[in-house]
Amino acid sequence: MSDRCDEALANLYLYLDSELDRVSSDRIRAHLADCPPCEHVFSFEHRFKLVVRERLREEVPPEFIAKIRAVLSSEYEIDG
Amino acid sequence: MADQADFERDALQYAPQLYTAALRMTRNPADAEDLVQETFLKAYRAYHTFQAGTNLKAWLYRILTNTFINKYRRDARRPSEVDLGELEDMYLYRRIGSEHSAASARSAEDAVLEGLVEADVKKAVESLPEIFRLPVLLADLEGFSYKEIAEILDIPIGTVMSRLHRGRKALQKALWEFAERRGLLPDEVADE
Repeated sequence: MSDRCDEALANLYLYLDSELDRVSSDRIRAHLADCPPCEHVFSFEHRFKLVVRERLREEVPPEFIAKIRAVLSSEYEIDG
Repeated sequence: MADQADFERDALQYAPQLYTAALRMTRNPADAEDLVQETFLKAYRAYHTFQAGTNLKAWLYRILTNTFINKYRRDARRPSEVDLGELEDMYLYRRIGSEHSAASARSAEDAVLEGLVEADVKKAVESLPEIFRLPVLLADLEGFSYKEIAEILDIPIGTVMSRLHRGRKALQKALWEFAERRGLLPDEVADE
Protein backbone atom coordinates (compact mmCIF):
# COMPACT_ATOMS: atom_id res chain seq x y z
CA MET A 1 0.00 0.00 0.00
CA SER A 2 1.59 3.24 -1.12
CA ASP A 3 0.44 6.80 -0.42
CA ARG A 4 -1.02 6.72 -3.90
CA CYS A 5 -3.15 3.72 -2.92
CA ASP A 6 -4.34 5.52 0.22
CA GLU A 7 -5.22 8.59 -1.79
CA ALA A 8 -7.09 6.56 -4.39
CA LEU A 9 -9.07 4.54 -1.85
CA ALA A 10 -9.94 7.64 0.17
CA ASN A 11 -11.49 9.06 -3.01
CA LEU A 12 -13.11 5.87 -4.23
CA TYR A 13 -16.72 7.05 -4.12
CA LEU A 14 -15.97 10.61 -5.17
CA TYR A 15 -14.24 9.14 -8.19
CA LEU A 16 -17.02 6.70 -9.05
CA ASP A 17 -19.63 9.42 -8.55
CA SER A 18 -17.72 11.78 -10.89
CA GLU A 19 -17.41 14.32 -8.09
CA LEU A 20 -13.65 14.92 -8.38
CA ASP A 21 -12.03 17.68 -10.36
CA ARG A 22 -10.28 16.74 -13.59
CA VAL A 23 -6.75 16.78 -12.12
CA SER A 24 -7.60 14.52 -9.19
CA SER A 25 -9.57 12.06 -11.25
CA ASP A 26 -6.82 11.89 -13.89
CA ARG A 27 -4.31 11.16 -11.14
CA ILE A 28 -6.44 8.35 -9.79
CA ARG A 29 -7.01 6.93 -13.26
CA ALA A 30 -3.25 6.89 -13.82
CA HIS A 31 -2.73 5.13 -10.50
CA LEU A 32 -5.36 2.50 -11.31
CA ALA A 33 -3.59 1.73 -14.58
CA ASP A 34 -0.45 0.96 -12.56
CA CYS A 35 -1.90 -0.74 -9.51
CA PRO A 36 -3.91 -3.96 -10.06
CA PRO A 37 -5.08 -4.25 -6.42
CA CYS A 38 -6.60 -0.76 -6.45
CA GLU A 39 -7.99 -1.31 -9.93
CA HIS A 40 -9.66 -4.47 -8.61
CA VAL A 41 -11.41 -2.61 -5.76
CA PHE A 42 -12.54 0.21 -8.03
CA SER A 43 -13.86 -2.13 -10.65
CA PHE A 44 -15.78 -4.13 -8.04
CA GLU A 45 -17.43 -1.01 -6.60
CA HIS A 46 -18.21 0.28 -10.08
CA ARG A 47 -19.84 -3.01 -11.04
CA PHE A 48 -21.74 -3.03 -7.76
CA LYS A 49 -23.23 0.40 -8.55
CA LEU A 50 -24.29 -0.80 -12.00
CA VAL A 51 -25.86 -3.97 -10.59
CA VAL A 52 -27.87 -1.99 -8.04
CA ARG A 53 -29.17 0.40 -10.69
CA GLU A 54 -30.00 -2.43 -13.07
CA ARG A 55 -31.87 -4.47 -10.45
CA LEU A 56 -33.95 -1.51 -9.33
CA ARG A 57 -35.50 -1.02 -12.75
CA GLU A 58 -39.29 -1.15 -12.79
CA GLU A 59 -42.01 -1.67 -15.31
CA VAL A 60 -44.36 1.26 -15.16
CA PRO A 61 -47.99 0.08 -14.77
CA PRO A 62 -50.06 0.17 -17.96
CA GLU A 63 -52.07 3.36 -18.42
CA PHE A 64 -49.93 5.09 -15.82
CA ILE A 65 -49.05 8.07 -18.00
CA ALA A 66 -52.65 8.22 -19.20
CA LYS A 67 -53.84 8.43 -15.60
CA ILE A 68 -51.48 11.30 -14.88
CA ARG A 69 -52.70 13.10 -18.00
CA ALA A 70 -56.27 12.59 -16.81
CA VAL A 71 -55.47 14.03 -13.37
CA LEU A 72 -53.83 17.01 -15.02
CA SER A 73 -56.77 17.52 -17.41
CA SER A 74 -59.23 17.86 -14.56
CA GLU A 75 -56.86 20.41 -13.04
CA TYR A 76 -56.82 22.41 -16.30
CA GLU A 77 -60.63 22.57 -16.18
CA ILE A 78 -60.48 24.03 -12.68
CA ASP A 79 -58.09 26.63 -14.04
CA GLY A 80 -60.74 27.40 -16.64
CA MET B 1 -51.22 30.15 -15.78
CA ALA B 2 -48.77 27.42 -16.62
CA ASP B 3 -48.70 26.37 -20.21
CA GLN B 4 -50.29 22.93 -20.21
CA ALA B 5 -48.68 21.74 -23.42
CA ASP B 6 -45.20 22.82 -22.34
CA PHE B 7 -45.60 21.21 -18.97
CA GLU B 8 -46.75 17.88 -20.38
CA ARG B 9 -44.10 17.86 -23.07
CA ASP B 10 -41.24 18.65 -20.68
CA ALA B 11 -42.26 17.00 -17.43
CA LEU B 12 -44.15 13.80 -18.27
CA GLN B 13 -41.06 12.14 -19.73
CA TYR B 14 -39.79 11.76 -16.15
CA ALA B 15 -42.89 9.92 -14.93
CA PRO B 16 -41.44 6.39 -15.27
CA GLN B 17 -38.27 7.34 -13.37
CA LEU B 18 -40.25 9.12 -10.68
CA TYR B 19 -42.44 6.04 -10.33
CA THR B 20 -39.40 3.80 -9.86
CA ALA B 21 -38.06 6.04 -7.09
CA ALA B 22 -41.53 6.42 -5.55
CA LEU B 23 -41.94 2.67 -5.39
CA ARG B 24 -38.76 2.29 -3.35
CA MET B 25 -39.87 5.15 -1.10
CA THR B 26 -43.43 3.99 -0.40
CA ARG B 27 -42.73 0.27 -0.83
CA ASN B 28 -45.98 -0.42 -2.62
CA PRO B 29 -47.35 0.23 -6.13
CA ALA B 30 -50.64 1.90 -5.17
CA ASP B 31 -48.96 4.47 -2.92
CA ALA B 32 -46.23 4.99 -5.51
CA GLU B 33 -48.81 5.81 -8.20
CA ASP B 34 -50.60 8.22 -5.86
CA LEU B 35 -47.33 9.86 -4.91
CA VAL B 36 -46.30 10.42 -8.52
CA GLN B 37 -49.77 11.73 -9.49
CA GLU B 38 -49.67 14.15 -6.59
CA THR B 39 -46.17 15.19 -7.56
CA PHE B 40 -47.31 16.07 -11.08
CA LEU B 41 -50.33 17.93 -9.79
CA LYS B 42 -48.19 20.03 -7.44
CA ALA B 43 -45.58 20.52 -10.11
CA TYR B 44 -48.20 21.77 -12.56
CA ARG B 45 -49.63 24.19 -9.99
CA ALA B 46 -46.14 25.49 -9.17
CA TYR B 47 -44.87 25.41 -12.75
CA HIS B 48 -45.02 29.21 -13.04
CA THR B 49 -42.33 29.33 -10.31
CA PHE B 50 -40.04 26.99 -12.23
CA GLN B 51 -37.23 28.88 -13.90
CA ALA B 52 -36.98 27.79 -17.51
CA GLY B 53 -33.55 26.48 -18.37
CA THR B 54 -32.84 25.19 -14.86
CA ASN B 55 -32.92 21.55 -13.86
CA LEU B 56 -36.49 20.34 -14.35
CA LYS B 57 -35.72 16.74 -13.38
CA ALA B 58 -34.17 17.80 -10.05
CA TRP B 59 -37.10 20.16 -9.46
CA LEU B 60 -39.58 17.31 -9.93
CA TYR B 61 -37.60 15.06 -7.59
CA ARG B 62 -37.61 17.80 -5.00
CA ILE B 63 -41.40 17.92 -5.17
CA LEU B 64 -41.55 14.11 -5.08
CA THR B 65 -39.37 13.79 -1.97
CA ASN B 66 -41.08 16.69 -0.18
CA THR B 67 -44.47 15.20 -0.91
CA PHE B 68 -43.31 11.82 0.29
CA ILE B 69 -41.83 13.21 3.50
CA ASN B 70 -44.91 15.32 4.28
CA LYS B 71 -47.53 12.84 3.21
CA TYR B 72 -46.08 9.91 5.03
CA ARG B 73 -44.93 12.06 7.94
CA ARG B 74 -41.50 10.67 7.57
CA ASP B 75 -38.53 11.98 9.40
CA ALA B 76 -36.11 12.13 6.50
CA ARG B 77 -35.08 15.67 7.28
CA ARG B 78 -34.73 15.44 11.01
CA PRO B 79 -31.03 15.12 11.78
CA SER B 80 -31.76 12.07 13.84
CA GLU B 81 -28.93 9.73 14.56
CA VAL B 82 -30.25 6.52 13.16
CA ASP B 83 -27.79 3.97 14.31
CA LEU B 84 -26.57 1.73 11.53
CA GLY B 85 -23.78 0.46 13.73
CA GLU B 86 -20.15 0.56 12.78
CA LEU B 87 -19.72 -0.67 9.25
CA GLU B 88 -16.47 -1.03 7.38
CA ASP B 89 -15.85 0.67 4.08
CA MET B 90 -16.10 -1.57 1.03
CA TYR B 91 -18.12 -3.95 3.13
CA LEU B 92 -19.08 -6.44 0.43
CA TYR B 93 -15.68 -6.46 -1.21
CA ARG B 94 -13.93 -7.13 2.08
CA ARG B 95 -16.36 -9.84 3.14
CA ILE B 96 -15.89 -11.70 -0.11
CA GLY B 97 -12.12 -11.21 0.08
CA SER B 98 -11.93 -12.44 3.64
CA GLU B 99 -13.44 -15.77 2.65
CA HIS B 100 -11.54 -16.29 -0.56
CA SER B 101 -7.94 -16.33 -1.62
CA ALA B 102 -6.82 -13.75 -4.16
CA ALA B 103 -6.97 -16.43 -6.83
CA SER B 104 -10.65 -17.24 -6.35
CA ALA B 105 -11.87 -13.80 -5.20
CA ARG B 106 -12.78 -12.70 -8.72
CA SER B 107 -15.04 -15.63 -9.39
CA ALA B 108 -16.62 -15.18 -5.94
CA GLU B 109 -17.25 -11.49 -6.74
CA ASP B 110 -18.83 -12.41 -10.05
CA ALA B 111 -21.00 -15.02 -8.35
CA VAL B 112 -22.24 -12.49 -5.79
CA LEU B 113 -22.84 -9.64 -8.23
CA GLU B 114 -24.58 -11.83 -10.77
CA GLY B 115 -26.53 -13.74 -8.15
CA LEU B 116 -28.11 -10.73 -6.46
CA VAL B 117 -31.63 -10.91 -7.80
CA GLU B 118 -33.99 -7.96 -8.21
CA ALA B 119 -36.08 -8.91 -5.22
CA ASP B 120 -33.04 -8.93 -2.93
CA VAL B 121 -31.74 -5.57 -4.11
CA LYS B 122 -35.17 -3.98 -3.80
CA LYS B 123 -35.70 -5.41 -0.35
CA ALA B 124 -32.23 -4.34 0.76
CA VAL B 125 -32.81 -0.76 -0.44
CA GLU B 126 -36.21 -0.68 1.24
CA SER B 127 -34.64 -1.87 4.49
CA LEU B 128 -32.54 1.30 4.74
CA PRO B 129 -33.84 3.99 7.09
CA GLU B 130 -35.23 6.86 5.02
CA ILE B 131 -32.51 9.36 5.82
CA PHE B 132 -30.09 7.01 4.10
CA ARG B 133 -32.44 5.52 1.53
CA LEU B 134 -33.30 8.81 -0.16
CA PRO B 135 -29.69 9.87 -0.88
CA VAL B 136 -28.84 6.33 -2.06
CA LEU B 137 -31.80 6.30 -4.45
CA LEU B 138 -31.03 9.77 -5.77
CA ALA B 139 -27.37 8.96 -6.34
CA ASP B 140 -27.36 5.31 -7.34
CA LEU B 141 -30.70 4.97 -9.09
CA GLU B 142 -30.97 8.44 -10.61
CA GLY B 143 -27.35 9.51 -10.90
CA PHE B 144 -27.88 12.96 -9.39
CA SER B 145 -24.76 14.85 -8.32
CA TYR B 146 -24.12 15.54 -4.64
CA LYS B 147 -25.01 19.19 -5.22
CA GLU B 148 -28.32 18.25 -6.84
CA ILE B 149 -29.11 15.84 -4.00
CA ALA B 150 -28.33 18.58 -1.47
CA GLU B 151 -30.83 20.83 -3.24
CA ILE B 152 -33.48 18.15 -3.61
CA LEU B 153 -33.32 17.11 0.06
CA ASP B 154 -32.50 20.59 1.34
CA ILE B 155 -29.52 19.41 3.37
CA PRO B 156 -25.83 20.46 3.19
CA ILE B 157 -23.52 18.65 0.76
CA GLY B 158 -21.43 17.27 3.64
CA THR B 159 -24.57 15.65 5.04
CA VAL B 160 -25.38 14.19 1.61
CA MET B 161 -21.92 12.65 1.45
CA SER B 162 -21.97 11.14 4.92
CA ARG B 163 -25.51 9.76 4.55
CA LEU B 164 -24.76 8.38 1.12
CA HIS B 165 -21.58 6.77 2.37
CA ARG B 166 -23.24 5.19 5.38
CA GLY B 167 -26.31 4.20 3.38
CA ARG B 168 -24.22 2.42 0.78
CA LYS B 169 -22.31 0.50 3.43
CA ALA B 170 -25.58 -0.58 5.05
CA LEU B 171 -26.89 -1.60 1.62
CA GLN B 172 -23.80 -3.73 1.02
CA LYS B 173 -24.18 -5.34 4.42
CA ALA B 174 -27.82 -6.20 3.73
CA LEU B 175 -26.89 -7.64 0.35
CA TRP B 176 -24.06 -9.65 1.85
CA GLU B 177 -26.59 -11.26 4.15
CA PHE B 178 -28.82 -12.12 1.18
CA ALA B 179 -25.82 -13.54 -0.66
CA GLU B 180 -24.91 -15.74 2.28
CA ARG B 181 -28.46 -16.92 2.75
CA ARG B 182 -28.76 -17.81 -0.91
CA GLY B 183 -25.44 -19.60 -0.84
CA LEU B 184 -24.04 -17.47 -3.64
CA LEU B 185 -20.47 -17.86 -2.55
CA PRO B 186 -18.66 -20.66 -4.31
CA ASP B 187 -16.64 -22.94 -2.07
CA GLU B 188 -13.00 -22.07 -1.82
CA VAL B 189 -11.07 -24.11 -4.34
CA ALA B 190 -7.99 -25.60 -2.74
CA ASP B 191 -4.78 -24.63 -4.49
CA GLU B 192 -3.32 -27.94 -5.43
